[in-house]
Amino acid sequence: MSAPFQHHRVTPWLLMAPQLAIVLVFFFWPSLQAIEQAFYVEDAFGLSREFAGLANFQAVLSDATYYQALGTTLVFSLAVALGAMSIALGLAVMADRVVRGARGYRTLLIWPYAVAPAVAGVLWLFLFDPTLGLVSGALGHLGIAWDHKLDGAQALALVIMASIWKQMSYNFVFFLAALQAVPKSLLEAAVIDRAGPWRRFWTITFPLLSPTAFFLLVMNCVYAFFETFGTIDTVTAGGPGGATTTLVYKVYQDGFVGQDMGASAAQSVLLMALVGGLTWVQFRYLERRVQY
Amino acid sequence: MRYRRPGLDWLSHGLLGLCCLLFGLPVWLAVTASTHTLGDLYSQTAPLGFGDAGLDNYRELLGGAVGGLGTDVTTLLVNSTLMALGIAVGKIAISVLAAYAIVFFAFPLRRLCFWLIFITLMLPVEVRILPTFEVVADLGLLDSYAGLILPLIASATATFLMRQFYLTVPPELVEAARIDGAGPWRFLRDILLPLSKTNFAALFVIMFLYGWNQYLWPLLITNDADYLTIVVSLKRLLTSADGLVPWHYVTATAVLAMLPPIGVILLMQRYFVKGLVDSEK
Amino acid sequence: MATLRLDGIRKRYPNGMTALHGIDLSVADGELIVVVGPSGCGKSTLLRILAGLEPITAGELAINGRRVNELEPAARDIAMVFQNYALYPHMSVAGNMAYALKNRGTPKDEIRRRVANTAALLGLDDLLERRPRQLSGGQRQRVAMGRAIIREPQVFLFDEPLSNLDAKLRVQMRLEIRRLQKRLGITSVYVTHDQVEAMTLADRLVVMNGGHVEQCGTPMALYARPATRFVASFLGSPAMNFLPVTAHAGGVVLPNGAQVALPAILPEGDAATLGIRPEHLVEATASEEAAATLDVTVEMLEPLGADTLAYTRLPGVETWLVVRLDGAHAAREGQRLSLALPVAHCHVFDARGARVPMTGREDAEALAAQ
Repeated sequence: MSAPFQHHRVTPWLLMAPQLAIVLVFFFWPSLQAIEQAFYVEDAFGLSREFAGLANFQAVLSDATYYQALGTTLVFSLAVALGAMSIALGLAVMADRVVRGARGYRTLLIWPYAVAPAVAGVLWLFLFDPTLGLVSGALGHLGIAWDHKLDGAQALALVIMASIWKQMSYNFVFFLAALQAVPKSLLEAAVIDRAGPWRRFWTITFPLLSPTAFFLLVMNCVYAFFETFGTIDTVTAGGPGGATTTLVYKVYQDGFVGQDMGASAAQSVLLMALVGGLTWVQFRYLERRVQY
Repeated sequence: MRYRRPGLDWLSHGLLGLCCLLFGLPVWLAVTASTHTLGDLYSQTAPLGFGDAGLDNYRELLGGAVGGLGTDVTTLLVNSTLMALGIAVGKIAISVLAAYAIVFFAFPLRRLCFWLIFITLMLPVEVRILPTFEVVADLGLLDSYAGLILPLIASATATFLMRQFYLTVPPELVEAARIDGAGPWRFLRDILLPLSKTNFAALFVIMFLYGWNQYLWPLLITNDADYLTIVVSLKRLLTSADGLVPWHYVTATAVLAMLPPIGVILLMQRYFVKGLVDSEK
Repeated sequence: MATLRLDGIRKRYPNGMTALHGIDLSVADGELIVVVGPSGCGKSTLLRILAGLEPITAGELAINGRRVNELEPAARDIAMVFQNYALYPHMSVAGNMAYALKNRGTPKDEIRRRVANTAALLGLDDLLERRPRQLSGGQRQRVAMGRAIIREPQVFLFDEPLSNLDAKLRVQMRLEIRRLQKRLGITSVYVTHDQVEAMTLADRLVVMNGGHVEQCGTPMALYARPATRFVASFLGSPAMNFLPVTAHAGGVVLPNGAQVALPAILPEGDAATLGIRPEHLVEATASEEAAATLDVTVEMLEPLGADTLAYTRLPGVETWLVVRLDGAHAAREGQRLSLALPVAHCHVFDARGARVPMTGREDAEALAAQ
């Protein structure tokens, strides 16, 4: 469609002005500053700084803790994305098949999405509190000593569980909508062709869900990267021993806690490149739909 | 018909019910724990039933400064509400206008504007947190509502959704309005905005939740407890005591922090689901 | 009271596609012009240019002798009925009709009066408070008409307004549009791809193809003397029969060698097309002067009630020859028929598709075309 209003010179700029102003001040200015800062070294008091070329990047990329954070981020993101998606898909398939009550189940499962990641962290922290937690207590009876403050693997598992708990409902909403959009005539044709429910799902429903699944995979990774900051900060604060320090958490730690602005900025830039790549993949996939 | 299998249906109902219960468990425990006294809590594992303290914990939290918080939870709730409303209303307001310009106007640099705005979808605030903090500090907006709200408005999610909706408006509607003598502002006011009502509702839910649940940003820019939000306050409560977590306060605050967003999502579920699913298209 | 004049109107889109290659047309006051053509012929573009929704690339458009190329749609004093009606979904019927008046600052009493009058004219009195989605297709169509009428514009523009209605309603609304247009006497341009609609509504018909006007004239003139093979094929249902022929002294020759005696002026040996409408093929028993007599075999029959269409085959010719027989005709499939080609109803088109004039008939044709 060609734009209907052709001869207005000022109006479109008036309309764009608020958004452009906010985006320029709070997005482009800081982003450019991050990029600039990544090439400078600042003294401890922030009084002077000098150009350092790629030194900050070299420091970051030769730091073992950075690779640890990278590994943690990958494990964490994959676990959250796959966990939250597979549970959601299973539940959505069941809710879709019972037909009557699908909306009721949606109501019963949708609300965790509204819970803040930090609050989700607190709820799960309470479940697994070493002294009075319900689940940690039960695990103790089974002979498993639970203390996520000492055991890095347990800490990571706890953060993953809390993140999956919150994210599942998002995926559920999408999968349920996608399942309900599968044309009934296709499934009926498959019934006539004598395909059982299991076969129908894998040969007809699942291929039709794959665009949604791909979209959700990207969205879940973005969620795991960024939004889980609150969960991690309340539950483990990145510990123990950096076992739950993700890349984003490290940017925060080095910058605000460690006051190493150059290193933090360099990490920001690396992260931007990473996320930019991820989004580029998504846009490539969305290209057919995201038409200018 | 062979299509239905009652056995599978019952199995599905059973599993779904079980999962609903499991998903509710963490919240249920928080609700019950918040009605116990601290001593009561530490004498056993977390109780599944309600305690004797009733609403006392809530009364104390809402009434005055407790523990290391430095302020009462009523203030926190007000701050969170202002921040969430500010972000939701602000985002909707600027995105309605910007998307309108991008979809309905031909003007030089339209393409550039489009990309300037939509590239913000790629980088969440967490990535550029340090420099954003510095910009806000330079502008003197630390410990202020403007500082809490404005940087979080600088993303195009709402603009993107509004644009998606505008693209579905039949071009003939604009043409009819032009023939009927409506210029751009009149068309926006008389036709486009009234038609966008459900989209506003959907966007409002999504943005309200986004604003309410923010953590890192308010954590950074609020030193003054008067501007603290309830979600951020949890961490302070958790670490305030001398090793003994005041779980009765923490759970009560967590419950208070959950109630408004869960209320919003359940009341406006229809719009929320529509808005969410539309974002994929 | 308005006249409309189009002078060499061209339209080229920014992507380089040319939609209109110089359109000349004048419309008299109160006239109903129907623009007809296949999809993509440029007829909708032409209408949108008249409305002011598309800028003009070259040429001049004048309403009442005044150039309006640069005027906004609202300033041209036109009204348009859209194919999908484009009713404002959130406004009542009354609100939809009143919107244009409100925008012009018409006093409230006046608006109320005119809404009531228009509603009465269209039988919408009981529906004024309804929303468009609560209306049937025909009712929506009326509201769209009402929204145009209430303005008392200089020119009405119709963009395929009946194509979303079912067949029965379409016939009814067609009559109604004709009645209203005559009664209000407002100059109108009506775009459609439906040739029946075009024939029945038009004072004058404009047939378009590929961004050009193929022919312009009264429906009967175009039907009787199509200027091009395209016009001949587009108007009339079932369509005109076309036979490939070769020019020959004193007429044309069919592929099977049969000679057709016609006063067509064509160089000997040229390829041409002979056109004859199904209703003009008559059984040769009549003692009428025939250009030729063709012996055909009936291969299929389509009884329509009043008529029967016979799909026949001429030996040595690949295409069907469709014949409109009387409904009471006792033809059977496989039967042989002897058909006469009446000279007066034969059309010859040259290799480029243009009508070939015939000596002795051109005076009559020129007269009829006026």
